[in-house]
Amino acid sequence: MGPYHAIMVHFPVALWIVASGIMLYRSCSDADLARALDRVLPVLLAIGVATGVVAYVFGQLVWPPETLQKTPLGRNHMLGATLTLSCWSAVLYLRWRAGEDVWQGRTHRLVMAIVGTLGAVLLAVTGTLGGHLHGAPAYLSELLRLVGFDVYTTFYVPTWVLVVVVAVAIGMPLLAVAATRTRAAIVAR
Amino acid sequence: MLRRSTALGLVTGTFLATTLLVLVTHSTSVVRNDPARNIWIPDDLTLPLRLQVAYNDRQVFFRYRWPAREPHVVTDLRRYSGGKWQRDLRTPIGSEPARPAEDRLTMMVDDGSVPEFQRYGGYITVGANMRDFTGSDASAAHRRKYLPATRRDPSDWYSLVDEATLQSQRRAGYFLDLWHWRAHLSNPLGRADDQNVAWYRLFDSGETPYFSNWDLENQRPRWMFDGKAVPVHAFRTTGAGRSDAGAPTTYFLAESSAAPFDPSLPWREGDVIPGQVLREATDSRAEIRVQGRGRWADGEWDVTLVRELDTGHPLEDKILRDQGVYSVAFSVHRDGRASRWHYVSLPLQVGLGRTADLVANRFEGAAPDWRRAEVREVTLFYPGQVSWPHLTSKRHAGSRYIAKGVPVKYRHKESQLAQYGIEMEFDREIRRQWWLTLVAGVLLIVSFVVSVRMLFGRKER
Repeated sequence: MGPYHAIMVHFPVALWIVASGIMLYRSCSDADLARALDRVLPVLLAIGVATGVVAYVFGQLVWPPETLQKTPLGRNHMLGATLTLSCWSAVLYLRWRAGEDVWQGRTHRLVMAIVGTLGAVLLAVTGTLGGHLHGAPAYLSELLRLVGFDVYTTFYVPTWVLVVVVAVAIGMPLLAVAATRTRAAIVAR
Repeated sequence: MLRRSTALGLVTGTFLATTLLVLVTHSTSVVRNDPARNIWIPDDLTLPLRLQVAYNDRQVFFRYRWPAREPHVVTDLRRYSGGKWQRDLRTPIGSEPARPAEDRLTMMVDDGSVPEFQRYGGYITVGANMRDFTGSDASAAHRRKYLPATRRDPSDWYSLVDEATLQSQRRAGYFLDLWHWRAHLSNPLGRADDQNVAWYRLFDSGETPYFSNWDLENQRPRWMFDGKAVPVHAFRTTGAGRSDAGAPTTYFLAESSAAPFDPSLPWREGDVIPGQVLREATDSRAEIRVQGRGRWADGEWDVTLVRELDTGHPLEDKILRDQGVYSVAFSVHRDGRASRWHYVSLPLQVGLGRTADLVANRFEGAAPDWRRAEVREVTLFYPGQVSWPHLTSKRHAGSRYIAKGVPVKYRHKESQLAQYGIEMEFDREIRRQWWLTLVAGVLLIVSFVVSVRMLFGRKER
């Protein structure tokens, strides 16, 4: 399944790179071109996520789970792929549900730029790890080493950080709900 | 009153801060020394070994230099404690100051008769559940190096092939020559122990260069320092492992300076006598000599070993010839560590006057001029607990490449193998933490986007 995975990943990689470029461009421009590109963004994201899911499934079949999850590179690649797919699926959901409101105001644009950048970084890291697994390591791994991430060491966090992450994951929606209700109360008055 | 824009800023800031926290703290908290599981991770995962090789018509010279903060020149001691003599047979787990272990250098040599060795080096000699692996107990103490084809099932220590097959393998050259320099048990007499690896880690034929200094019946040493050639009968524990190997100290007990043990002497708490008595080896066991002296100075060992190209023992030594290319792999024990707590190298090809990873200089005369010899820096690494049965199993993603004969250096670097070796020692814990991290990461992203979606408001009509 390795060759099919290698073929398939080209699609989400290309689409998400373009999508991140559009998001960064649109987040700092109201030009006609930026608006026009933004209109095709949901389509790019949708096809990217669809092909990304297929590539992800193919990737899971390259090696038996026991083999893939036994090596640091395999674990890191799987972690990166999962987070990348999650991130771009989330971007699709956001752009689809919020529409062009995502570009209203500086804060919204900043958030979109952050999400687009995060997706691009995750994509680059995952692709680098895939290259290593395929036997074609890139110099990007040396760059990652400079910022403290050795691709040959499994990426995991301590338990106390997991607790913080879960607490934040619960707290953020609660904060959003509180803010939304406050606004609803003001409107009602 | 909480405004949406404020909340959006708070959510975004919290998300970024959490992401930063994840990046800063990643890959920590699991890897730590755990003597109860035979786990001890060295501070330095790699070690540079500088190698030079030269040869003349008759002999080959290997010069090794490697860093060591301090020399460790004693091992296997008998101590007087609590009113009686004691010996401690347990291998130190990592560095244990109470159990000194000597510095050592080992080199395995092959002439192509063990083809896997050229590609995978010493990994092929590591079977499953070897001694001092996590989970191994006293019953595994005898499990040492062996070559895969000496077993019907290479992963099963007990599936030894029959004696006739072993002898045929030996005649076909299916063994590795093993040169073993030891700061305590060979260096004082200017020797390296000559061994070989086949169905087991074996000694070459001849008198052993050391013998046990323990009277099993009376539970005390058989020999002590004679008080004449060496002006004491025992030395003290303090500083025992810190002597300069080149200085005339009492850190080793040679047959020539030993006297029968006298229990009537006023032995004191903390007196120490070496557990092995050194003597001249003979025959094939004595083929490897130290040129000059193996010395430690300024934080570095400098050892040169010399051997006849043709020792006349083709069933125990690899016979070397001009224009031959040979595979070698090294290991170094330092910092008071023994057993599997060593640094190892990937295989390296040495050519005697012929193109290879390192070309040995041919010279005329009795000793080489090292200023003219190429210096090759070989990176040694801590190998962890990685066995050949694991590497050739489906659990190893690279097993398919091994089956195709792809050399290890094509896919792996030394620093990478060191990391992998450590991760193998904590596989279960790391995998659990990794799964939790994966789930938490997805949860964080989903939570962030859902929150942002709520704060962005409704879709523009």
